[in-house]
Amino acid sequence: MEFALLQAVFLPLLLAPVAYILGRKVGPTAATWFTFGLLLYCTFLVISVALSGNYEEHYTWTKLFGEFGFKLDGLAIPFAVIIYVLSTILALYSKPYMIHKFKEFFEEHAHDHSSESGAGQSTALVESSAMTSYVNHQSGLYFALYLVFAMGMLGTVLATNLIEFYIFFEVMLIPGFFLVAFWGDGPRRRISLMFLFWTHAGAVVLLLGFLTIGLNVGSFDFTAIQESKIPSDVVMLAAVAIVIGLGVKLAAFVFHIWLPYVHGAAPTPISALLSPAMIGIGAYGIFRLIIEFLPNQYAEMALWLHIWGLATMIYGGAMALMQDDMKRLLAYSSISQMGYILFGIGSYSTLGLAGAEMMYVTHGLGKALLFMTAGVLIVQVGSRSLSKLGGLAGKMPITAVCGVIGALTIIGVPPTSGFMGEWTLFYGALETAIKDHAATGSVLRMVTFGLGLVATVLTMSYMLWMLKRVFFGKLPENLSHVKEASWYMTAPMMVLAGFTIVVGLYPDIFFNDIIPYMKGVLGA
Amino acid sequence: MELIPGLSLDLGLQAWAIWILPFVAALILPAVGKASKRATGWVAIAFALASALCAVSLLPGALEAQEVHDQVNWISSIGIKAGVLADPLAVIMANVVGWIAFLIIVYSTGYMKGDKDIVRFWFWMMFFIGSMQIIVLSDNLLMMFFGWEGVGLASYALIGFWYRDKAKDHVGVQGRKVLGLMDYYSPTHAGMKAFIMTKVGDIMMLSGMFLIFAFAGTFGFRELMHDTAWATSMQAQGLLVPAAVLLFGGAIGKSAQFPLNEWLLEAMTGPTAVSALIHAATMVKAGVFLVARIGPLFFALAAAGFALDQFFMVIAWVGAITAILLATQGMVNPEIKKVLAYSTGSQIGYMMLALGVAGLSKQFVDGYTAGFFHLISHAMFKASLFMAAGSLLHVVGSRFMTDMGGLRKHMKKTYAFMWAAGLGLMGAPFITTGFWSKDAIFAAVYESGSEWALPLFAIAVLTAVITAFYTTRMIGMVFFGDKSKHIEHMEKEGHHVHEAPLSMWVPYGILAALTIGIGVIGLTAEHGIHELFTEYLAHTFHIESAHVEAESGIGIPFLEGINPVALGASLAAFAIGAGLGYVFYIGRFVDPVKFVNSNIFFYSLHKVILNRWYLNAMVYWCFVVAPLWLARGVWRYFEKTAIDAGMNMGVERAVGWSAKVVQKTQTGVAQSYLYVFGAGILFVVLFLFI
Repeated sequence: MEFALLQAVFLPLLLAPVAYILGRKVGPTAATWFTFGLLLYCTFLVISVALSGNYEEHYTWTKLFGEFGFKLDGLAIPFAVIIYVLSTILALYSKPYMIHKFKEFFEEHAHDHSSESGAGQSTALVESSAMTSYVNHQSGLYFALYLVFAMGMLGTVLATNLIEFYIFFEVMLIPGFFLVAFWGDGPRRRISLMFLFWTHAGAVVLLLGFLTIGLNVGSFDFTAIQESKIPSDVVMLAAVAIVIGLGVKLAAFVFHIWLPYVHGAAPTPISALLSPAMIGIGAYGIFRLIIEFLPNQYAEMALWLHIWGLATMIYGGAMALMQDDMKRLLAYSSISQMGYILFGIGSYSTLGLAGAEMMYVTHGLGKALLFMTAGVLIVQVGSRSLSKLGGLAGKMPITAVCGVIGALTIIGVPPTSGFMGEWTLFYGALETAIKDHAATGSVLRMVTFGLGLVATVLTMSYMLWMLKRVFFGKLPENLSHVKEASWYMTAPMMVLAGFTIVVGLYPDIFFNDIIPYMKGVLGA
Repeated sequence: MELIPGLSLDLGLQAWAIWILPFVAALILPAVGKASKRATGWVAIAFALASALCAVSLLPGALEAQEVHDQVNWISSIGIKAGVLADPLAVIMANVVGWIAFLIIVYSTGYMKGDKDIVRFWFWMMFFIGSMQIIVLSDNLLMMFFGWEGVGLASYALIGFWYRDKAKDHVGVQGRKVLGLMDYYSPTHAGMKAFIMTKVGDIMMLSGMFLIFAFAGTFGFRELMHDTAWATSMQAQGLLVPAAVLLFGGAIGKSAQFPLNEWLLEAMTGPTAVSALIHAATMVKAGVFLVARIGPLFFALAAAGFALDQFFMVIAWVGAITAILLATQGMVNPEIKKVLAYSTGSQIGYMMLALGVAGLSKQFVDGYTAGFFHLISHAMFKASLFMAAGSLLHVVGSRFMTDMGGLRKHMKKTYAFMWAAGLGLMGAPFITTGFWSKDAIFAAVYESGSEWALPLFAIAVLTAVITAFYTTRMIGMVFFGDKSKHIEHMEKEGHHVHEAPLSMWVPYGILAALTIGIGVIGLTAEHGIHELFTEYLAHTFHIESAHVEAESGIGIPFLEGINPVALGASLAAFAIGAGLGYVFYIGRFVDPVKFVNSNIFFYSLHKVILNRWYLNAMVYWCFVVAPLWLARGVWRYFEKTAIDAGMNMGVERAVGWSAKVVQKTQTGVAQSYLYVFGAGILFVVLFLFI
């Protein structure tokens, strides 16, 4: 298929205004289904191309930067598929959630307005038509931004050029910023700025690394990058800059400051995209830019990444234990899960790297499910504070089942996909530990392996405790009226829940792409 | 794949069907439940029966030491295959699991009648059985781990089945505290506790599996046996014993062995049918099965000169410690299901002990057979006891034995069956399966020739005394004496104590009858298994057993081949334990409460035992309270201060000016956003294609 990836990336961008106009003129339902249909088409493009194996497209760009291309290989396929599958599914889920949110804002505005003017005698009819037009406007804007956000993420993982990578990296940031600033919870403007500032600062550091490489190599094209062409005194500097830039995106320990705020405050469908799909792109960057292009630097820093990952795992998990706000708990859980990925990246073995990438896939599915669960609670119950919830399993069985499957995916219980990520990841870590032990007698990696496994118990503890506080136990009296969410919300959850089990039983769907690639980069 | 003449079915397919059928049932049950809730019970029964029948069809071949091994590709990118391995060990186990599960399912139709969440119940029961059959039949560790976590998940769901946490579903005594912590648990808490504690075992098992995989490149049981070069290189790096012990760690968690035993008690919050399933057929037996699965492999290695004594020593000691530790607690607990739970842990300890000493002795097959035979006999009488206890709970409406009493006239059938099964647990001489299997364990320990044989033997015998005592106590408290105030109160309100319905008493009646029925021919049965396993071990693992003439000094023909010391010990243990129990609880010559309070030693001992040797409280202090406290400290004094206040606030001041700029753009008019947004897109597009 010619131009398949070009279409998949740019159609959402070019048609974003259509979504806006549809929303404004026709209403949220039309905008939802337009967005869904468009992304579904793009997802099919990506998947059909992915099925044929490695695939590249190249377009002439500027002399200055090199070629503009898209590449779908063993590394990019799982990322691309998960990004678009989640984006497509969450488009449907967005509708009831965002309408709920818009109405809430409208009432806030109306309330402010009426209290300011002191009159507030508008008739119900006027108010309802004003509300409809408000909702239409807002939903158009939302879906337009949503489309750009999705294409930014996809573009990043398909890019074949450092500058192209950087542009897409920033493109996904801008709509993300607006989405949080417009429809977030709490002090949303402050939080969106925090988001913009930290990730942007990370991106700038990343850009420094890119420039160092690009100027030394003389080209920004991925194909041109060779480690040996870069002077040995700056190459490590470049690698560190890149890792730090991506570490901010990954919200690795110390750079995780922004994440709990942003993921807690973002509108829930966006949290469900931000948390698993977007921050994991940091991991993609490390795979592509460090492991593939700078293998010697990777060999040197692998152990540090490993330990950094371990610290992130444990720290995120311990902080998740302390949360009462469900979305914040999930945000800390994401930090911890990114720790798993870093841990795997630092394992320096084929299966460990494959497991780390698989973790991205399973975390994408599992965490999206959990954020969607939180969204259902916000809409149907009106609360996300764990201490005010409880016993909801009987009231909303479908949500409960999907939420539990999501949690099991994060915990890594078979037959969910989480187990497939987790066992390969930890096995990889152990494999290197054994090699180290045999070669040097060092038990450092054995210890990190053991601590990593202990962290899985921590993960299990906060997840099960969260489930208990939401779905089980006594039902608070004021929640006896709660009903199951609409199909717009439950059907997408069921699809993801089914997907995670399919991948858990038959991981070759992704492993067939991942493992040959990882073998290739490690030269094994 | 082999075909047996006369049986046209493909045996490989049947072996798969044993575990697939329960999952099929679990998948279709929700749909069936939409149509008719009544039908779900029949679907569950039908599928459990079909699965059990598939297991039976493999039995003729297995009894001739044949095996069915069938593989399919699974994770081909790593070269891992899935497969079923139906050797004699697996087939016998599959039959035990299948048939006991079937009886429990039948029982559940009565026990769970009218529960509005019945579909969920059936779903998880079938999931549970299917997962257990995966453990039994899988031919490699990774697939086994799927079943392994599956039973963990099912137990989490079923222990917390009554997730609404009503007071009647809790266990423990409300308000009772041990070391400042509540000893009173809700079903959801208990489910979580079980899942997390067994997970600790699971991560040990995973590490063990990974270590082996790293050297052998395979998870397959047969492949590991086929080429043992991996063991050589592991030994060289000093990792063979750790790997084996870590693998055993999984069994410690799942079988509730010391030190991961504390979840088993709270697991009693589940419906009694679930407890029966957990204790007799699935879950805790999985650990024993794992040891039975890997034990011969490691023994074969040990026979080939690898130093694995420590591994078997660990198994034997963990078993012995658990046996006595939990048995003591069974003596004092007032809740009938908890007494049975302690008893299970303790009996599993026996099985581990037997399997452990098997590896330490020259005659591996003796201990191996003894352990496995005890697994079978325990499965029968414990399932029966649990189901009978469920009937009592059902009828009396209380989990406390002190709320029962004098029930023998009202529930004659349950009374009789409980005696029969209880005698099995006590090891009543010559007529119960429990006697023969326990005697075989004593003999195996005594004859093992290990340096620790005598202490282990002493612990085993002491445990037997205690077992006989607490079983008698349980039956005495429930069926003898006067009616409790609780029952009198019930009767005043017009609820009369009556026998359980047919669908409930028939299943435990059958198992109680089998305990006695097989017990009568117990020695023959044991010899049968012994011969089968001798051939199996010789054939598959090349473990040849020298045909030793046992010292038979008794001279009674039907006791030929029995070790006189072991026999004497079991007889004495039974007599002492049951006698003491009779004095206190059936004859009621001495009041146990007064007796305990009579002197400070008994009083303190009673208190320590009743407080679970303080182990449970210590687990909570060290692994729940302390980590939470630590996490709270980090949260307050690092995350909120250093990270959040420090870094975020500092940055915020620095970017304060930009906030002002952005605030101006927050006009709230969507149109102006659109222009900005459109301009942005234009900008990006232009930038891309200049």
